[in-house]
Amino acid sequence: MRSFSYVDAYSVEEAVSALGRFGAKARINAGGTDLMGLLKDEYLPTYPEVLVNVKNIPGLDSVSEEGELLRIGALARLSELGRSPLLLERYPALAEAAYAVASPQIRNVATLAGNLCQDVRCAYYRYPAQVGGAIGCARKHNGPCLAVKGDNRYHAIMGGRKCFAVCPSDTAVALAAFDASLTVIGPHGEHSIPIADFYTPLAHRLKHGELVIRIEVPAVSLPHQRFFKFALRRPIDFAIVSVAVVASVEDGVCSDVRIALGAIAPGPVRATEAEEFLRGKPINDETASAASELALGGVKPLGRNGYKVAIAKSLVKRGLLGEGGNLLKE
Amino acid sequence: MTVTRKRKSLKRAGENRVRFLVNGNRVDLGIGEEEHQVGYSETLAETLRERLGLTGTKVTCDNGACGTCTVLMDGKAVLSCMTLTVECGGKNITTIEGLRHPETGALDPIQQAFIDEGAFQCGFCTPGIIMSAKALLLENGAPTEHEVKEALSGNFCRCITHYQVVRAVLAAAPGGK
Amino acid sequence: MAQEYRHIGKSTPRRDAVDIVTGGVNYLGDLRFQNLLHGKVLRSPHPHALIRKIDTSRAKKLAGVKAVLTWEDVPDWRGGMPPVTRILDQKVRFVGDAVALVAATTEEIAKAALRLIEVEYEILPAVFDIEEAIKPGAPQLYDEFPGNVVSPECPLLGPNPLTGVVTGDVSAGFAEADVVVEGTFGYQNIPNPIPPEPPGVIALWEEPQRVTLWGSSQSPALDKMILSSVIGYDIDIRVHGNPIGGSFGTKIVLWQVETYAILLSRAARLPVKLIYTKEEHLATFVLRPESRIEARVGMKRDGTVTAVSGTWLVGTGNHSTTTQAQVAVGCGEVQIMTRCKNWDLKSAIVCTNRNASGSVRGFGGQELKCAFIPVLCLAMEKLGIDPLEFIKKNYIKPGQGYFWRDGNWYDYRGIDYSAAMEEGARRFGWREKWQGWLKPTSVNGSLRRGVGIGVHGNADIGEDVSEAYIRLGIDGTATLISCVTEHGTGQRSNYLKMVAEVLGLPLEKVFISPSDSIITPFDFGPVGSRGTYAIGSAAIAAAEDARRKLLELAAHIFEVPAEDLDTEDGMIFVKGDPDGGVPWIAVGHERTVLGYGRFEPDFTLANCMTTFVEVEVDTETGKVTLLNVVNATDVGQVIDPQGLEGQLNGCLGSSGIDSALMEETIIDHATGRMLNPNLLDYKWRTFAELPVIENVVLETAVSSHRFRAVGVGEVSTSPGPTAILMAVSNAIGVWLHEYPVTPERVLAALAGVVGGVKGGAR
Repeated sequence: MRSFSYVDAYSVEEAVSALGRFGAKARINAGGTDLMGLLKDEYLPTYPEVLVNVKNIPGLDSVSEEGELLRIGALARLSELGRSPLLLERYPALAEAAYAVASPQIRNVATLAGNLCQDVRCAYYRYPAQVGGAIGCARKHNGPCLAVKGDNRYHAIMGGRKCFAVCPSDTAVALAAFDASLTVIGPHGEHSIPIADFYTPLAHRLKHGELVIRIEVPAVSLPHQRFFKFALRRPIDFAIVSVAVVASVEDGVCSDVRIALGAIAPGPVRATEAEEFLRGKPINDETASAASELALGGVKPLGRNGYKVAIAKSLVKRGLLGEGGNLLKE
Repeated sequence: MTVTRKRKSLKRAGENRVRFLVNGNRVDLGIGEEEHQVGYSETLAETLRERLGLTGTKVTCDNGACGTCTVLMDGKAVLSCMTLTVECGGKNITTIEGLRHPETGALDPIQQAFIDEGAFQCGFCTPGIIMSAKALLLENGAPTEHEVKEALSGNFCRCITHYQVVRAVLAAAPGGK
Repeated sequence: MAQEYRHIGKSTPRRDAVDIVTGGVNYLGDLRFQNLLHGKVLRSPHPHALIRKIDTSRAKKLAGVKAVLTWEDVPDWRGGMPPVTRILDQKVRFVGDAVALVAATTEEIAKAALRLIEVEYEILPAVFDIEEAIKPGAPQLYDEFPGNVVSPECPLLGPNPLTGVVTGDVSAGFAEADVVVEGTFGYQNIPNPIPPEPPGVIALWEEPQRVTLWGSSQSPALDKMILSSVIGYDIDIRVHGNPIGGSFGTKIVLWQVETYAILLSRAARLPVKLIYTKEEHLATFVLRPESRIEARVGMKRDGTVTAVSGTWLVGTGNHSTTTQAQVAVGCGEVQIMTRCKNWDLKSAIVCTNRNASGSVRGFGGQELKCAFIPVLCLAMEKLGIDPLEFIKKNYIKPGQGYFWRDGNWYDYRGIDYSAAMEEGARRFGWREKWQGWLKPTSVNGSLRRGVGIGVHGNADIGEDVSEAYIRLGIDGTATLISCVTEHGTGQRSNYLKMVAEVLGLPLEKVFISPSDSIITPFDFGPVGSRGTYAIGSAAIAAAEDARRKLLELAAHIFEVPAEDLDTEDGMIFVKGDPDGGVPWIAVGHERTVLGYGRFEPDFTLANCMTTFVEVEVDTETGKVTLLNVVNATDVGQVIDPQGLEGQLNGCLGSSGIDSALMEETIIDHATGRMLNPNLLDYKWRTFAELPVIENVVLETAVSSHRFRAVGVGEVSTSPGPTAILMAVSNAIGVWLHEYPVTPERVLAALAGVVGGVKGGAR
């Protein structure tokens, strides 16, 4: 890798100070698994000058439910989330999503905040510098989007604008179903960003100089939970479509339901129309099918990704009907 | 899960060095851009192979996707190509060279099981697979076949020796049948 | 039933077993040298362009840079087949083509130097589709190949290599058929077997004309032969063969990376290491050729093929390394599995602006059959013929024959493989699962199961020349001197078993030399499935020769003819009197007994692999799950059960079965960039998704060498893709015409969703 300099932060304050000092020249090193890809492939126009290492900040990796809030530290490792007794009991869809990421070795170091803030996987965007040079594109502000007319089999079927890359995070999908938010700290203090607002077509909303310190999830009791990740293989793959469904069913009638879809748009997509449709209705083949149609109502596929629509509908339906096993319970 | 380690043990103030254990041996390296120093951008895989001469750790993709360079960090399987050496302060690293008994040189049971089952072909990915298997067995002495496959699911093997590998890991499990 | 041997047929640990499990094997990248420079390649961003100007002055000034070379600096060495491709050229022909070479004291300095080289290109129009490339007006890659059609000659195979199968009278054949079908199928996903270890070399140039290489070639002697043809026979080349971290047929032709390192070493006067990164490996090293066929088949109700006509387009990328040989072997192989008197099958090799295709396990036959067998299936479907019955009827049998790669006819003298096919069918449950063409085996909601069968065989098991020496140690040891490297099959250990068996020695008394071209005799190398029969024959012959010489030397001691003597465990004795023996040392302290063995090519035997697969297709998502695989073969005699199992299980990877399920190389047609040159985006099978594999191995003695065995390692990948295409088509009731059968393609076939695209490209 090309050289860079390096700052160890041992507290959130030190991290914020360092990030403030270096601004756009700095990158946060949490798990580092996505960052190493950027450093090795040199796919961005500018190379990071300094890494701010936050791995050694104590206390940022805890998982706890306090009253009305589930709090997950930004540095909680995906491997820990995948086997957290608390998550497995109360938020199994999130545990599933964490377990669905990458490989055991990656999950042992990758963090939740890193999974949420990772860069997109568009093959044009990430084309490595070493074989003919990186490719300019809209996301890098140095060229047109080649995917929109090119190979867009893995790109957005809704919500794309200028850039059609999808949010690659699995955990973001589960967290969207739980209405989670990211707590971000910067030079001006803390603020909270709902996960639904965190992703925009050209970038996520963590600014230079800021650090995610925790993820907050309003405590819920939605016992029916499913997370499905559809990919060409498992694991070590990014989703073609993923779906999180969390619901409660009382006396055969759906009292609450949240449906989030991943890898179809720049961020996770909540199927609010489908959710509204289902509330107060029994969940059966007919209502699940109707909900899946509503969930994919606004899609505008590109040249090669229309097949995602059928997959997404199927996953929504199956999530509602509770089909398919939970990997972690095998 | 909370990190309670003191910063002192990680890096001594004023000194730009990184100290950690590799296979029980103390490694103490200066950090910097000189040839004899570890640069910030040097990966653990590079340090092990090029600086410490531990070439048993092989590198295939050098990009986090194949598991070939797997080593143990404090008993957990991690990718040495995705780990910066400067982050290893205070860590206990085990590589394939560290599995043999330090005095007798006897093979680790997992290594012997790989030989008994013929669980390799080209052998390039074998050290990484063995280290992933070792991490599993450290945590779970009686894994099921499913757990073995899950634990090795981040390891690339192109010859398709998977079936023999799974048998070897199950055979080496101390609590296995 | 196989014979009982002391070593043959038993599982014995490989000679390199302890080294492998302890990390002690020194692959190329593990070798250490003094003053070693690191080579790097500047690669073209354009698929087709002329270099107008190239300025290396800033790169040359960078501290630590020892050599910078461009097309203006290098000799006019040319490689490829025919040899028209320059080491560095003013014209670049694919994204990733070499533009400049740098050697520096560290890899990072070499990379930094690449960033300082300034290049001005004149961009030329490019072509990526093989059908587009042969149209009038298409961009031309080479003046030597008008219409982008690469000339078919292949000197290695003699003056008349097969370029098709043309014999009999096809119009008469079609006239006597009960059904005539036409079809177009493509195996154009150009999968990559991706051995974990990338291609590379360490080269040392010494004045005036000497080159030493430490290589990653699967076949050092062949490597040297090819390299000599590129850089000149007047240059003395020594090749050290190394253990190989996988090859799958790809690391045979390495002239590009080797000449880069040689020229850099010549310029810098120091050894140069040039090992591709994984991205370079995928984006610039060889791929499987792409294959597309438009064919007509006439068939009778009883499964007799009466005529085959058609055109086989073979895409070779920006140049050919071995494609003509693959076409020749493929055309031979198609006759091994299809009895037919009337053929008019012609081929054309087409070059396009992507990285070159080359040798890959399956060598031509897999490419041809993946496109051709589905056409046969269309005819079987019309006639309601069970494909198991078809392959049993049509696969080569003793007394029949084929035109082989050199254009000559060979009478087959091997065994009938019907028994292996039948046993495989029984273990798979084929007759219970087969419901007829385009009919699922079972339906459970949206999940539909289907079964398929594929077959492949190759007469390459006796191709080309092998030589070996055996040096006997008077202390009762033997050393096999062979240039064969270990590339993953365990064959080096298997030859030791053969040698020990011939010489009556325990395995621990038998050794093998390093592979070094200055010491070892010629061997074409462990390519195809020739290792067991061809290379094995040379080792056996050398051991037999050494044994005869030893016993001749001992004859005077016992005062009996040498033929009356025997040897076991390092003792020589009169037959029937093992207790009255003398140790080998009795023939004299100061002596080397050297045996020599040579294998001459024999194209009259072929192996056979039949693969049965069962898949489950989710018709809602298009997901195809591989459930069961049964491989059925007959190897004559098992040499090493564990090694054989590994080779057969290899049916999944290295662009075998998985090239029909998920593997593909994606080339962007707007930019020529490969969009998945890494191990994340190129899909490969993980431990978490293993189907059940059963291997059915019969042992019917075959007239090969004294152990009556034939090799099958190469061919396990080849029957799978067509079996998958058949199984998925049966499951969903619609013919699929392209590989791989991704959810996108399955859904398109089912519902006419967007797509129906061909190849991995576009």
